[in-house]
Amino acid sequence: MDKETVVLSYDVIVVGSGGAGSAAAHAASRDGARVLVVTKDPIGCSDSKIAEGIVTVRGVAEESDSHEVLSDNLRLAGGDLPVPEITEAFAEDSEEAYDWLRRQGVRPRIDSKNGGPVVLPIALGGHSHRRSVSHDNGGLAVGHAAWNAVVQGDGVDYIEDSWFLDIVTEDGPEGPVVAGGLIYDAGEGCLIAVQAPAVVIAAGGLSTLYFPNTDTMRGNTGDSYAVAARAGAELVDMEQVQFLPFCLTSPPSYEGLLAGEPVTAGYLGVIRGADGKIILDSVMLRTRAECAAAMVRAVEAGNGTESGGCYLDLTANVKGERSAKYYVKFVHTAVSGVMVTVRQALGRAASEFKEIWEVRPGAHYCMGGVRVDAEGSAKALTNRHPVRGLFAAGQAMGGVFGGNRLGSTSLSEGPIFGARAGHKAAELRVKKMPEEKKSLSSEFEIALRSYLEVFGQEGDRSGSGMIRELQKAAWNGIGPSRSRVGLERFLRQVADFRKQASSIAVSKESIWNQAFIDYVEFLNMLDTAEAVAVSALNRPNSLGAHIRMDGGNTSVLFTKPYSVGVFHAKSGGLQTCKLNRPSTPWSTLLAHAYHGLKRRLELKILWVLPLALQDRIVEKKFRDVMGSLETEKPEAERKVSNGEELEAA
Amino acid sequence: MKVELAIIRGGEKRLVPFEYAPREEGERPMALDVLLQAQATDIPDLSFRYGCRNRTCGLCTVDINGRPRVGCRARVREGDQLSAPSTLPVVRDMVSRRDGIARQLRGRVPSTLRGNDLDVEAPEDYHALTACIECYACLDNCPMHARNFDQGIERRDENKAYTSGNPFSLLKLQRIRLDPVATREDANKALNAAIELGIDACYDCPGCKCGVGIDLKRKVVKPLVDASKALLSED
Ligand SMILES: Cc1cc2nc3c(=O)[nH]c(=O)nc-3n(C[C@H](O)[C@H](O)[C@H](O)COP(=O)(O)OP(=O)(O)OC[C@H]3O[C@@H](n4cnc5c(N)ncnc54)[C@H](O)[C@@H]3O)c2cc1C
Ligand code: SF4
Ligand code: SF4
Ligand code: FES
Repeated sequence: MDKETVVLSYDVIVVGSGGAGSAAAHAASRDGARVLVVTKDPIGCSDSKIAEGIVTVRGVAEESDSHEVLSDNLRLAGGDLPVPEITEAFAEDSEEAYDWLRRQGVRPRIDSKNGGPVVLPIALGGHSHRRSVSHDNGGLAVGHAAWNAVVQGDGVDYIEDSWFLDIVTEDGPEGPVVAGGLIYDAGEGCLIAVQAPAVVIAAGGLSTLYFPNTDTMRGNTGDSYAVAARAGAELVDMEQVQFLPFCLTSPPSYEGLLAGEPVTAGYLGVIRGADGKIILDSVMLRTRAECAAAMVRAVEAGNGTESGGCYLDLTANVKGERSAKYYVKFVHTAVSGVMVTVRQALGRAASEFKEIWEVRPGAHYCMGGVRVDAEGSAKALTNRHPVRGLFAAGQAMGGVFGGNRLGSTSLSEGPIFGARAGHKAAELRVKKMPEEKKSLSSEFEIALRSYLEVFGQEGDRSGSGMIRELQKAAWNGIGPSRSRVGLERFLRQVADFRKQASSIAVSKESIWNQAFIDYVEFLNMLDTAEAVAVSALNRPNSLGAHIRMDGGNTSVLFTKPYSVGVFHAKSGGLQTCKLNRPSTPWSTLLAHAYHGLKRRLELKILWVLPLALQDRIVEKKFRDVMGSLETEKPEAERKVSNGEELEAA
Repeated sequence: MKVELAIIRGGEKRLVPFEYAPREEGERPMALDVLLQAQATDIPDLSFRYGCRNRTCGLCTVDINGRPRVGCRARVREGDQLSAPSTLPVVRDMVSRRDGIARQLRGRVPSTLRGNDLDVEAPEDYHALTACIECYACLDNCPMHARNFDQGIERRDENKAYTSGNPFSLLKLQRIRLDPVATREDANKALNAAIELGIDACYDCPGCKCGVGIDLKRKVVKPLVDASKALLSED
């Protein structure tokens, strides 16, 4: 590294430019703060952009969809791990967040009957109401909005191709206080020290730990969690990693990509084991966690396919002449992007639901994250101090979803908590900026030195190679199927990996030093993986997305819910704690269980009816929510190319 | 399968042969598969961009035999050469510096749209333009974008933004003009920005091509050219 460190000062640093980061930056700048957005991928290129683009908007279709109902849905789905004040904030702000996205250019189709956005005809698994709005071009609509909010130029500065390395804190009388952060600007080839009283972490998740078993962006290397924990923050629910049940197993270029949601299994979709027998019915009504759990157990019991998957059988949905076209139309509106992928990967017959699909769970989202309050401010145990000036939003934060995230909730989560964190962070701005830059404190100098030393590090290992080894170990140790023995073995591997980190060769290049980038991301992945493993050991039974093959299930009725917290102990190493959570009242639980049972029974009955009758009933069900397809005008030129033509060209 | 990778470091370019080992019988790998395998074997510190592996994030664009392709969905053939997108300055290996493109829209797009009721239907073309994944494949052979490198000198302003435009920037501007929630003023500002960025280059250009098949000629260039001519003839 031959370039001088650049010193800047801002009121708020926002790490990440997806839905959460862009909303945080926009909100803080509206309040008069001077904001710097730093992002390692170009502006807006994030999970928010590659999403299916389905957004939860409370009350958009049904009057009875109150704040309480949505908040309860989140907590119930999350096995009572979500924090009530946070789920309530979600329920309160979802409409406002959606309006913000629309003021940045997201345009839904408008329902000519009620004059509002068109809502998906069927509630996604675990949602009691229809409240999910889909968009033409999926997440790209959200990606453009995030881009717009950052690039527009009014009060927000940004740098891309820049890796946020660490938060720098100074010791105050009441614990650590944020002094700013360090950045590696790969494009310019320099380190940047930014002095700022507030940092909002919105750097997404950790799913790259499980590559290639994931459908998320490469950049999800756990930076959010590793950076926050190193600064002294607590993490919660880190064992809760969501594996989507239906990801592709082949061909190789498509491995891990999303192939649908439980709800797109339709009224008649089922999951089968390798022996062809049904291992889960009524798929449409199940949560992601329930489907993934059934599949993992089948595979462990020896009933999985060669590549460790199961079969998603949607063929019954297109057997009935009348209902088939409704089903096809429904899936294509809900997840149009997925259907392009399936068509390319599995061929025409499969994409017309005439063949079964081989699928395997893939990492999608981390429910755990930085422990914060409903405004995104870092929180701490009563005998510890929270890091003042540290905020988290979006996938980076914990406490919203607990054991399971419902479909379409994360694109709302980003702007909801991004805006909250942005406003709160702006409150810490210094009223008048000093004319001259302060010289860097010793804390900054120490942090800088630790990174400068890495340039030119000699060794016989490569960062990218170590990442691959870690990914393999993580799939086996902290993947969808877990046990004490496996977790303990994984932690020993982590300790070995850590020792080897100092033998990673890093050149002295200043500009785009790939080995330095790989080294930094490897350490973030390692820190994050350790937090996941340690938390998982502290939950001996299965709950939500956490499946322990050597433990029993956790009954929500009879156990007191708790979250696992984890943080760096003063003495070194990770320390865990239990955070008690309130139980959902029995009456709510029973009502929910009854409702679920009733709907499942309806589907079970459908399954045994003669085809002609089944066909009519399903058609009627679809018609009731979608309207008749008979009268609909043909859609002229609605679908824009999603790449298929180009492949042919 | 043998291919060639253009390895560019410290301004020096080497053509490195790479033998791709198919992962299943008859595999026709994508450019991204080749790069991932090269990183896992011969060149551990190979630099390349990617994100979604699913033609959506727009990051993985590389040149195959000199033409930009979306790497995660572009199949590679025996003897192909992979290199960084040549329409922008190369930073290292397959990575080009892209940030000067988006920056030219700073101050030219509204920070919040306030022109209408939110529950209003957008025209079909608005959705068509939203399909843009920002892959920058359309920069290839664009005479307007070439102005930024006229006589080998890179032209960026004090914000590091390129001073001349490109099809992507025009798409973003036209999208504002189509947005029913934008104000008249926003739309006029967008048109003026297109003029400032050099829409005149489009007047007698055969037209641009989009990496994901958006009809740029008809949906972006033509309406902007027509409107700019009308506006300029008013003055
Ligand atoms: C295929 C797919 C489909 C999905 N579909 C839906 C859906 O339909 N509905 C829904 O609600 N959710 C969906 N999700 C989930 C949702 O997209 C994400 O959870 C959500 O977008 C996360 O938003 P975020 O802002 O927290 O993080 P992201 O959008 O992932 O943004 C993270 C940002 O942080 C930056 N970053 C990371 N590390 C660093 C660092 N060290 N330094 C600087 N910058 C850094 C990245 O460059 C990026 O800009 C989907 C996800 C996937 C993968
Ligand atoms: S217009 Fe097309 S080619 Fe240009 S950036 Fe957008 S998607 Fe890529
Ligand atoms: S029509 Fe305009 S934008 Fe398109 S390639 Fe020609 S000069 Fe560039
Ligand atoms: S990796 Fe995202 S478009 Fe290719």
